[in-house]
Amino acid sequence: MAAKPGSAPTTYSPSLTQKTRPPIFKGNDLDWVRPDGRGFHQCRPAFFRTGAVNSASGSAYAEFGNTKVIVSVFGPRESKKAMMYSDIGRLNCNVSYTTFATPVRGQGSDHKEFSSMLHKALEGAIMLETFPKTTVDVFALVLESGGSDLPVVISCASLALADAGIMMYDLVAAVSVSCLGKNLVIDPILEEESYQDGSLMLTCMPSRYEVTQLIFTGEWSTPDINEAMQLCLDACGKLGKVMRSCLKEATSASQE
Amino acid sequence: MGLPNASGDLSTEVEVDAFRRLFPLRFYEKHLSESIRPDARPLGRARDTTIALGAVASANGSALAKIGSTTMLAAIKMEVMTPSTETPDEGCVAIDFHMPPICSPIVRPGRPAEAAPVVSKQLSDTILSSGMISLKELCLVSGKAAWMAYLDIYCLDADGALFDTALLSAVAAFSHLEIPVVSLNDDGKIVLLSEEQEGMSEREPVNKEKRKLTLCSIPFSLTCILHKNYILADPTAEEESIMETLVTIVLDSSSQLVSLYKPGGPVLAYTSAIQDCIAITRQRVKELQKILEEAISVMEVD
Amino acid sequence: MEVDREDGRTQNQLRPLACSRNVLHRAHGSASWYQGDTKVLAAVYGPKAGARKNENPEKACIEVIWKPKTGQTGKLEKEYEMILKRTLQSICILTVNPNTTTSIIIQVVNDDGALLPCAINAACVALVDAGIPMKHLAVAICCCVAKSGYVIMDPTKLEEQKMKSFAYLVFPNSVHSVLPEGSVQGEPMEHGIVTSVTHGIMSVDDYFYCLERGCAASAKLSDFLRRSLQRHPTDSSKAG
Repeated sequence: MAAKPGSAPTTYSPSLTQKTRPPIFKGNDLDWVRPDGRGFHQCRPAFFRTGAVNSASGSAYAEFGNTKVIVSVFGPRESKKAMMYSDIGRLNCNVSYTTFATPVRGQGSDHKEFSSMLHKALEGAIMLETFPKTTVDVFALVLESGGSDLPVVISCASLALADAGIMMYDLVAAVSVSCLGKNLVIDPILEEESYQDGSLMLTCMPSRYEVTQLIFTGEWSTPDINEAMQLCLDACGKLGKVMRSCLKEATSASQE
Repeated sequence: MGLPNASGDLSTEVEVDAFRRLFPLRFYEKHLSESIRPDARPLGRARDTTIALGAVASANGSALAKIGSTTMLAAIKMEVMTPSTETPDEGCVAIDFHMPPICSPIVRPGRPAEAAPVVSKQLSDTILSSGMISLKELCLVSGKAAWMAYLDIYCLDADGALFDTALLSAVAAFSHLEIPVVSLNDDGKIVLLSEEQEGMSEREPVNKEKRKLTLCSIPFSLTCILHKNYILADPTAEEESIMETLVTIVLDSSSQLVSLYKPGGPVLAYTSAIQDCIAITRQRVKELQKILEEAISVMEVD
Repeated sequence: MEVDREDGRTQNQLRPLACSRNVLHRAHGSASWYQGDTKVLAAVYGPKAGARKNENPEKACIEVIWKPKTGQTGKLEKEYEMILKRTLQSICILTVNPNTTTSIIIQVVNDDGALLPCAINAACVALVDAGIPMKHLAVAICCCVAKSGYVIMDPTKLEEQKMKSFAYLVFPNSVHSVLPEGSVQGEPMEHGIVTSVTHGIMSVDDYFYCLERGCAASAKLSDFLRRSLQRHPTDSSKAG
């Protein structure tokens, strides 16, 4: 009878290490091609579908290239911890990764940083006063990480909230831009993110043209910031349309 | 049901949905006496089942299985380990089952579901004891290196029959698994060989071509509810919570019994009921075999 | 078919049984149960006020904590806890003490095969000792199927490892009742399976053979259980 040995042996992944692979981009080179052949200012095709998880109040699945995410929304329901009375509702967010999401097998643990960023991106868009004393839980699972994970999670979460019938001022669309040398690339994949000098993520409510969250990291010049923000705002507007049409499709399909 | 008489008076007045919530057992028993279930299935019929292979690009083998709305995503990642001294020419399979908070309103972050470690243990017992995988096939260099197959199964939507769906996705992931081409480098480590390197490398690859595992006697399972004299195949989460006696039977493709699992429950299982359950499971195994074969042939055409 | 067992037992013979109850002073009920060298200690606390987590306004709640001999609780212990909990839930009358929790703590003292059945038997005696209302008792037995097809009862650890497969079976004990004997579809109640857990491959016929033999062996266990419960709690009882 086959049995697992008592203690787990140490293992390693046989995948190629970074240095053996030729870098996609060198120094100040301006004429390079993105690994998936996209233009610098071109997003990956976005796919959304609501109602992915039946046992949740609302849910959505999003696929941007290799980035695949599921978000479930539960509630409004009783707050988990005995908390003080509050006139407005609470939002609780959690983002976790599967063990096989990343190229090298991970631990599949919670992502604390993304959880709090998701919370900040969404709380401005939700009408918390519509569900006093209760909590809405937004749980995200990254099935496969292919770059720009957080923006995809945020967009997907706002769609799941809409599917659950939680009142919002508008959908929230999120897009990120990476700065590689002198180039700005929108919606970067994992490989591009690993070479980036700086990144910018912008989440906004496209119909109201209001920003809910803006995050910079790395080295940026002022003109680059302006350009990147404009790029993101335009892309968010387009993404918002895709999300809206997904919701319309779902409702028209259910009415038939 | 504490007050059967009172409920009798109420039942004519309340709406169907309210009746279902207030008197779930009576609601079900009314259906069962007509040999039908609330979702329009006959008692012995399982829900629609689908398998999609290769759902995760970053894994060596993966599959998405759906039974009704219960959804499981299984993925296998191959890593290299040093085999133990007792079994120098055998690899290893590590199986883990996860219930992330997205799958059900009961699970919350930081408080893992009670069922998860139990299903996890059941899955690894079933898969390893069924003899489906020969661990010798996972050997690379005897005594030096062998494959460790990490199989992780994620429940994306929990609506009953968790073990059945998880086992189906696990088996499908193994049938999709491709062992990559690798060679031994100068440091004595196993590394992947990309396609352009294949001809140029001075070193003989340890594993010459992409290969699949040979799977013999694949296990399939069916969970049934026993309630009075009724047997309900493939229960939903609602049915599982109302009628608590569950029997899970695992049979392999040659109809050998891999596991018969009945953890307690208010109904006692008599020989005749067990025989009926086994007969339903035999039917179901044939169905599942066909569904898996179709999924594999679709994959090969692509 | 003659089978040689290392300890000279016949196929159907159980190891010497021993049981004593009320072995712990602080617990509401306790018992120790020996089957050969396998020894398990069970303690019952309750019924006590329901813990907030598993409060149920209609039913009593049963909680099982499995303490292994050494090391930490892992998946195996979690599985045992779940099986034991479900098994005990099905034999206890839960509606008598609604909104309470009864904790059963199982301490493994020594494992020499058939550990889970031994723990179920111990838990049963401890529940009786604590005076928890029960529909009937449960008796648990382990049956092993060897590669050559014969079946042995109550294996030691060594035998368990050598065998192709094994089944843990739990039956209700034979009820002494003034009412006419209840039976379902021509089978007496004590032939109904409360719990069944199998490991390893066996044919369906092997399983039914195990069932038949296990049922016969459980009658002996059931008698022993009854005799030891009738005795004064402080005497320990022994049987060969």
